[in-house]
Amino acid sequence: MSDPGRAEVEVSGALPEPVHAATGLPVGKAKSMFRLGFEVFIQNKLAIVGLVVLALAVLFCFVAPLFYRTDQVTVNLLQTNLPPGPGHPLGTDETGYDELGRLMVGGQTSLAIGFAAAIIATIVGTVWGAIAGFFGGAVDAVMMRIVDAILSIPILFLLLFLVTIVRPSIPVMIFVLGLTAWLVPARLVRGESLTLRVREYVQAVRVMGGSSWHSVLRHIMPNVVGTVIVNATFQVADAILLIAYLGYLGLGISPPATDWGGMLSNGSAFIFPNYWWLIYPPGILIIVVVVAVNLVGDGLRDSVEVRLQRR
Amino acid sequence: MKKLRTHGGIIRKPIFRILGIIAAVLLALTACSSGGGSPTATKTSGTNPGKAADTATMALPPNTVPNWIWPFSPLADFSVANGSDLQFLMFRPLYWFGNQGKAEINDSLSLAAEPTYSNGGKTVTIKLKDYKWSNGETLTSQNVMFWFNMLKAEKKNFAAYAPGQFPDNVVSASAPDAKTVVFNTNKAYSQQWFLYNQLSTITPMPNAWDMTAANTKGDCATNESGCAAVYAYLTAQSKDLPTYATNPLWQVVDGPWKLSKFNADGHLTFVPNTSYSGPVKPALKEFIEVPFTTDSAEFNVLRAGDTIDVGYLPTQDLKQAKPANTGPAEAGPNPLSTNYTLAPWFLYGVNYFPINFNNPTVGPIFKQLYFRQALQSVVDQKGILGSAAKNYGVPTTGPVPLYPSDSPLISQTEKNNPYPFSIANAKKYLTDNGWTVNPGGTSVCAKPGTGAGECGAGVAAGAKMDFDLQYASGNQTITTAMQSMKSNAAQVGITLNISSEPFNKVIAAASPCSGKTCTWQMANWGGGWVYLPDYYPTGEELWQTGAGSNSGSYSNPMVDQLITNTTTTSGVDVLHAYEDALAKDLPVIWQPNYTYSLTEVANGLKGATTQNPYSPINPENWAW
Repeated sequence: MSDPGRAEVEVSGALPEPVHAATGLPVGKAKSMFRLGFEVFIQNKLAIVGLVVLALAVLFCFVAPLFYRTDQVTVNLLQTNLPPGPGHPLGTDETGYDELGRLMVGGQTSLAIGFAAAIIATIVGTVWGAIAGFFGGAVDAVMMRIVDAILSIPILFLLLFLVTIVRPSIPVMIFVLGLTAWLVPARLVRGESLTLRVREYVQAVRVMGGSSWHSVLRHIMPNVVGTVIVNATFQVADAILLIAYLGYLGLGISPPATDWGGMLSNGSAFIFPNYWWLIYPPGILIIVVVVAVNLVGDGLRDSVEVRLQRR
Repeated sequence: MKKLRTHGGIIRKPIFRILGIIAAVLLALTACSSGGGSPTATKTSGTNPGKAADTATMALPPNTVPNWIWPFSPLADFSVANGSDLQFLMFRPLYWFGNQGKAEINDSLSLAAEPTYSNGGKTVTIKLKDYKWSNGETLTSQNVMFWFNMLKAEKKNFAAYAPGQFPDNVVSASAPDAKTVVFNTNKAYSQQWFLYNQLSTITPMPNAWDMTAANTKGDCATNESGCAAVYAYLTAQSKDLPTYATNPLWQVVDGPWKLSKFNADGHLTFVPNTSYSGPVKPALKEFIEVPFTTDSAEFNVLRAGDTIDVGYLPTQDLKQAKPANTGPAEAGPNPLSTNYTLAPWFLYGVNYFPINFNNPTVGPIFKQLYFRQALQSVVDQKGILGSAAKNYGVPTTGPVPLYPSDSPLISQTEKNNPYPFSIANAKKYLTDNGWTVNPGGTSVCAKPGTGAGECGAGVAAGAKMDFDLQYASGNQTITTAMQSMKSNAAQVGITLNISSEPFNKVIAAASPCSGKTCTWQMANWGGGWVYLPDYYPTGEELWQTGAGSNSGSYSNPMVDQLITNTTTTSGVDVLHAYEDALAKDLPVIWQPNYTYSLTEVANGLKGATTQNPYSPINPENWAW
C-alpha cells in the first residue's frame, strides 16, 4: 500500500527519517521535553482558543486603558446608570463610572490577583510538598497534618474570616488568597516527591555525598514542574472565582478599586430596572476568562502526559 | 488528544469543572434577566397576602433587627427598630407624639392628659388616664415614679439623658394619689419643651418589673436606692433575646400588642393584648415583622406579592427620579401599583454621621473646625439626592429638619446652607490651615502649631488625613453616598477607608467614649436622628456636652448655653440662635436626609398609609 507522505519524501530526494518500530515516532535526534509538550499543546485547539482569549483579556485589561481613557476614581453623580450610548459604549454604573472602563480596571484587579495569588500558592505549595515528600517520616507527617488541618476549614469561611480582620486591598487579597490556596499544590507535589526520591538519580546524589537540599532543589522540584504548571493554571481560575465570590459578598476590594465579582454584585442591585449593562458584561467576562484558563490548563496537562508517555 | 485526555487525571477533570462554572454563572445571569423588564411588567403571584388569615406582615429596614425590649435603652440599642418596631407596640410612653401623620402630640393615645403648670411654671402636674396593664393592675402614678427613680439612679445608662436636664432639673417628684404625679423643677422651663422633650421620655413601668431576681421583689418604684439591682436584673433580661416572647416580665404590657414569637434574626410576631384599655383595639389577629439583609432582598420578596403586606421600595429600583421640587413625602410613580400603594414616609429628623472627637489619634484633627468644614464641603447632598435617592429626601444643613419647608423653626442660615458642596472650598480650608493637600493621595500637616495658618492643637507635623468610616450595609443609597463622599474627599487628599457593617454593629460602635480604647473614628448608621423622644428639635440629647446620644462627644460651651436657652425660653429666636451655631460649628457631618421608607402598602389594607413622622407604628389601626 502506498504511503503518500513517504512518496513525497522520496520525490523530494531527502533521506527518510528513521522511525521507532514500536511507537512509530521518529528516532535519532531527541527533542526536548518542552518541545514535545509544546507540539502537543498546539495541537489542542481548545487550549489555543483559551490562550488567545486569555491574551485578549490581558490586552483588554492592561493595554486598552491606554487608549480608552476614563476616570475610574472620581464619582460623577450626574452620569449615573446611563444606558449604552455615545461616550459610554457600555453605559455607566450607579456612581457614574464608565462601565467599559470599569471592566478594564476590574479586570486588572481580577487578573492580577488571580495570577499573583496562583504564583504565591504554587511556590509555597511546591516547596512545602517537596520538602515533606523528600524527607518523609516525622517531617512529612507534621507538615501534611498541617495541610490537612487547614484543608478541613471551608475555604470561603476562612477567606471571610480573614478579610474581616484585615482591610481588603489588592496586596492583601493576593496574600490572603495565596496563603489559602497553596494546600492543593502542596499535596500534589508531596505525592510526586514520594515517588521521585527513590529514583536512581536521586539515590546517586546521596551516594555521591550530595546534600538533601541539593536533591530537593536540583532534582525533585524540577521534575514536578509539569504537575506544578498545570495546577498553577487551575489556581489562577480558582483565585479569579474566589475574588469574585468575595466581591459579590461585598467583602472584596474597596472602591474606587473594583473587580469583576464586585461589579456583578453591584449590578445585581439593579435587576428590576433592568440595567443589564451592569450585570452581563462582568458576569460574561468571569465565565470567559475562567473557562479560558481552564482550557489552557487542560492543554498543558495533555502536554505533560505526552512527556511522561515518551519516557 | 482524546486518548491522552482519558488517561489524564493529573489533577482533575476540567471539563466538568468548566461546565459547572458555566452552569452556575449562567444560572445567576438568567436569574438577573428574569428580574428585568419595565415597571409595568411587574410579576406578582398574589395580592393581599395577609388578608385571608387576617394578619399583616411588615418588612423591617435592611440589616436592622430589634434587639432591646426594655424601653430604658442605652445608646448602643437606642434605635427606631427597638423603640418604634418593638417597645412602643407593647409598652406605651406617657405621651404619644404623631397625630394623623402630623408632627404633634397625640392626646388620644397618651396615657395622661397634657400637664398643667403652676407655681410660676415650676410645678408640673400630670393626671393619668384610666389604663390597665395586661395582668389586670391599674396603671398608676407609682408606675411613673418607678421610671423616674430608675432614671435618677441610672441616668447615664439612658440614651436620652442630657446633663442638667431630666431628671437633674427636677427638685422633687411625688405621687400624691394613684392618678397624679407632681414634678417640681429648679426653674421655669418652656412649657412646650418640657412636654415635648422631658416628659416625653417617660415610659411607665409595671410593678411586675420591679424585681431584682426571678422571684425577688425590688423597691425601685418607691426608693431610688433600690434601682441599681433592678436595673441590673432588667438589663440582663433584655439581653436575653431568645426569651423575649416567653419571659413573664415582657408579657405585662399596657400597649395594644403582646409579643408571641421572637427570633433574634428579626422575625417577630405580635398578637393583640385583649385587655388593652386604649382607644383603638387591634383588628388584626397577628402583626408580623420580617427582617432582610438588603433592600434588594426585601424587594424581591415584595414583588412576589405573597408575603409582605407593608414593605418598601428601594430607590435604586426606580428608573426615574421624581421632580426635584416635590416634597420628600410626595409619591412619584409606583412600579408596584398593581398590588401596592406607595406611601413615602418621611421622618421628622436630621441625617448626619458622628465623628469621634475623643479618638486618641485623630480626635485632635476632628476638633479643628476647618477640618470639619472641609469634610462637610465634600458631601454632595444635592447630587446624591438627585441620583441615588431619586429626589426622595432633603438636604441637612443643621439641627432643624428642612422639611416641612414652611416650618418657622428653620433659620435663614440653614436655608442658605453655610457649607455647600465645593471641592475648591474644601481644599482652601486645608491649605489655609497648614496642610499640604495631595489630591488623590493623603494630605499631611506641614505647619503644626496653634497659630493662624497652622494645623491646630494636638495635630503633629506629618499627621495624615487618613480615616476609617464604617457605614450601615444593605442600603444601596447609603452605599452610593459613601462612595461619592470618598471620591470627593480623595480630591483634597482626605482618605476615607469606608467599610460596611450591619446597622446594629455601627450604632453600637458609635457610642460616647474616652481613653485609649475609644478608637472608632467615623460611623454612619445611615439614618441620623429622628426627633424621638426629644420631639422639639433643641438637640440637648445630641449636642450638649456629655449627653447620652452625643455619640462623638462633641463639646462646645457656647452651644451648651444656647441649648439651655432653648429650654427655658419659648419662641423661635432662641432656637434660631442655637440652630445657626450648630449649622456653622458642625458637631457632626450632615448628610442628605432620605425619605425613611418608600412604603408599599398592600391594596386593601386600610389604615397603614397614614404614617407617623416620628417613626412609631400603629398596626392596631390596620384592617383588611
